[in-house]
Amino acid sequence: MIRIGFGKPLLVALLLVLPLVLDTYTIHVAILIMLFAIVAVGLSLVMGFGGQVNLAQAAFFGAGAYVSALLTTTYGWNPWLAAPVAVLATCAMALAVAVPALRVQSHYLGIVSLGLAVAFSSLLSNSDMTGGASGISKIPPLVLPGLDLSGPHDYYYLVATALILVVGFALFIANTTLGRRFKAMRDDVLAAAASGIEIREYRLMAFLLAGLIGGIAGVLYAHNARYVSPDTFGLGVMFLLLAMVIIGGQDSIWGAIVGAVLLITARNLLTGVQTYQQLVYGGLIVATVVFAPRGLAGAASDLRRRFDLRWPSIPIPWTAGPVLPSAKLTVPRSWPQGIALRVDSVSKRFRGVHALDGVSLEVEAGEIHGVIGPNGSGKTTLFNVISGIYRPDGGRVLLWGQDVTGRRSFRMSRLGVARTFQNLRLFRQLTVLENVMVALDRDPAQAHIRYLVAPWLVMRDEGTRRARAVRLLEDFDLHEVANELAVNLSYGRQRRLEIARALAATPTVLLLDEPAAGLNGAEQDGLKVTIRKIRDAGVTVIVIEHNMNLVMNVCERLTVFGHGKVIAAGTPREVAANPVVIEAYLGQGTPEAEAVL
Amino acid sequence: MTYFLQTLVGGLGMGAVYALVAMGFSIVYRTMGLVNFAHADVVMIGAFLAATLFVTMHLPFVVAFTAAVLLTGVIGLGIERILRPLESKDLNLMLIGTIGFGIVLQSAAILVWGSFGVAVPTPIPNVPIDIGGIIVTTYQLFVLAVSGIVMLVLYLFLDRTKLGTAMQAAAMDRSAATAMGVNVATANAIAFAIGSGIAAVAGALVGPLLYVNPALGVYVGIKGFAAAILGGFGSIPGAIVGGQIFGLIEAFASGPLSAYSELLTFVVFAIAMMVRQTGIFGERTVDRA
Repeated sequence: MIRIGFGKPLLVALLLVLPLVLDTYTIHVAILIMLFAIVAVGLSLVMGFGGQVNLAQAAFFGAGAYVSALLTTTYGWNPWLAAPVAVLATCAMALAVAVPALRVQSHYLGIVSLGLAVAFSSLLSNSDMTGGASGISKIPPLVLPGLDLSGPHDYYYLVATALILVVGFALFIANTTLGRRFKAMRDDVLAAAASGIEIREYRLMAFLLAGLIGGIAGVLYAHNARYVSPDTFGLGVMFLLLAMVIIGGQDSIWGAIVGAVLLITARNLLTGVQTYQQLVYGGLIVATVVFAPRGLAGAASDLRRRFDLRWPSIPIPWTAGPVLPSAKLTVPRSWPQGIALRVDSVSKRFRGVHALDGVSLEVEAGEIHGVIGPNGSGKTTLFNVISGIYRPDGGRVLLWGQDVTGRRSFRMSRLGVARTFQNLRLFRQLTVLENVMVALDRDPAQAHIRYLVAPWLVMRDEGTRRARAVRLLEDFDLHEVANELAVNLSYGRQRRLEIARALAATPTVLLLDEPAAGLNGAEQDGLKVTIRKIRDAGVTVIVIEHNMNLVMNVCERLTVFGHGKVIAAGTPREVAANPVVIEAYLGQGTPEAEAVL
Repeated sequence: MTYFLQTLVGGLGMGAVYALVAMGFSIVYRTMGLVNFAHADVVMIGAFLAATLFVTMHLPFVVAFTAAVLLTGVIGLGIERILRPLESKDLNLMLIGTIGFGIVLQSAAILVWGSFGVAVPTPIPNVPIDIGGIIVTTYQLFVLAVSGIVMLVLYLFLDRTKLGTAMQAAAMDRSAATAMGVNVATANAIAFAIGSGIAAVAGALVGPLLYVNPALGVYVGIKGFAAAILGGFGSIPGAIVGGQIFGLIEAFASGPLSAYSELLTFVVFAIAMMVRQTGIFGERTVDRA
């Protein structure tokens, strides 16, 4: 939620009044700070929010500057015409760097983007077109009709306007659904895809934003300095940007700005001892990641939580109450009919091991279907195939009669399949409320065009989504901890939140992977009630479980797995009496074994 | 044809250096799953240490070489010790921490040695040898021999000794290894020390081939890193093959294309990464849900 408050107008006012009291040199420094703040905000969006290790941000900055410089000098374009072209060119470059991000992540992406940045630098210093190491000089200033922007005061206002617009837009993204989806993708890519997020599109979008913002800053830089050279956009500057974002706090727009102010100010105070500067900010990066991983912004928000009386931290009881979604879960007008899910001789191999070997099963609409079997018998692999994480090597998956074999994870979510994971996959650094809101958002990635054309619609949806999320959390008795980070919840509550998040995606078929694991007796009883209520709301439930008490009491039909094959199917009573099942579980069938089942 | 073979042979020396740098990245990666971005600058520090001891202090090359390896090993231990709290918590943060260390090492090098650098003479007389019309220098052969020996020793250590096996176990499953009595923290520290030591080997060998300066790390490090990834992270044959590929690309791209050599190298690399993420010898891992 975006609150305007008093702080932001005050900051804007300060920004506008500042040049009246500053001397020319300081105004130049202020312009530089603002430009770096813009670039750093771009890096914060792609790296802090999107989780994409992008070491080419300085190159984006450079691309904007160089393209604009080239067009206005060598080709004699009007700067106002060159500027948008330069920004677009930077966006194109950002997309090119993003293409590897579709396949590789983390370290790999870091080195690929760093490599491309180095290649860009070497191109700048070696190519004749860019003037080699001496760069491009005599870049024309930006001139508005009747207003020469070449003076530091006027240019200050131009850059300040850009800063305000960029920061406003970035904050808008950060605090609404797009920023939330970025963070969800960063925290857990599998769970994000299973919640309906198109990972590829969002990675591209994160880079595109970084390029857009970096390009804008680059253009502004070129026409202010009137001179560009390769050094300005090299690795040193990349590391400086990285330091700004890390020290300020990765996933905080304000953090990036504070980082820019601190480091550029320090750099200007310490001119002449440049090497020491580097030593200091390198050291600061190390100290920050070790002692304050969330940077200054994280430290500030911890402090605020500690002292803010309006927002008391809620003690989390260890004995979580029973899970009881009230009947408020929407019951469909027409009860679903027919076969909800049909798996038809599906196979999946991993390096020669048959994880699934011709598995077939049918789940009727409105059924609670149990999947049991020893560890490693292929149960979770089946869920991964159904939910689109794995593409099967053979066979078909039909959802409500429609062939959905091999559809990707986010598509399965859109088609009405939601799931939980065996080893809890929450969006750890999002709040409880945000976890649910991510899944409630059913809009495709293209809908984000609204951020540009109809921002008020984004705000309206935000409000309704929040209200629905709160209701859902009340159903799951999690509303008291709505603003707590998911990672801080007790284990039982985390399990409950994962189910709530799955339901927020309004599924027709819900896959629960060992939901009772680690729950105490009372919590297990609550879970039974919950599963029945979810079914009563018209959702077909398939549950993998080792807890026989739960399986025998809640499930109406069971499928039993052994070594990647279905070895038995039927009602719990039939299955319990099946000698094949008893043997799979307990070795040779003995009277004692039957008694256990 | 002679030109082709000559260029091919010309790439071997730098290829071996890249392979050594790749090895250093790999040994840390295969033990703790971390890519040590400071590694490139450790190579540079190693080069400077060897150069200083050998050129300025006139120590015998063997002594300078050994001392440089030991000293950088200590630097590696220091980096691991400081970043240890992040281990098993957040590898992305740890990665950024190593970038921070890289910056620190680079500026420290500028403070100590200045930003201009030193030219290092070859430790053995560098004479060209004519083999069927193709020229090979003795120093090239020396580089190949030393890096070959280091690779072999490393392979034997990882594959044949108890400690080497324990380090691999720590990489595969941290908690299982702990349960089997492997001290994971020690394994990580040793990996960092060995990785940094190899970095110094690479640095000492590359000194006479290039000019030793504070930017050397970036130059050699990124390609060594890319070589490690291209060959398959954590794989010794992968590091060798990856290193030689980059040595060759570099040798062939210099000359008419030199302005675009780095661009070409990294575009090829980015495409290779996308085609086969796990590199040439890497194994595909399954993301468990």
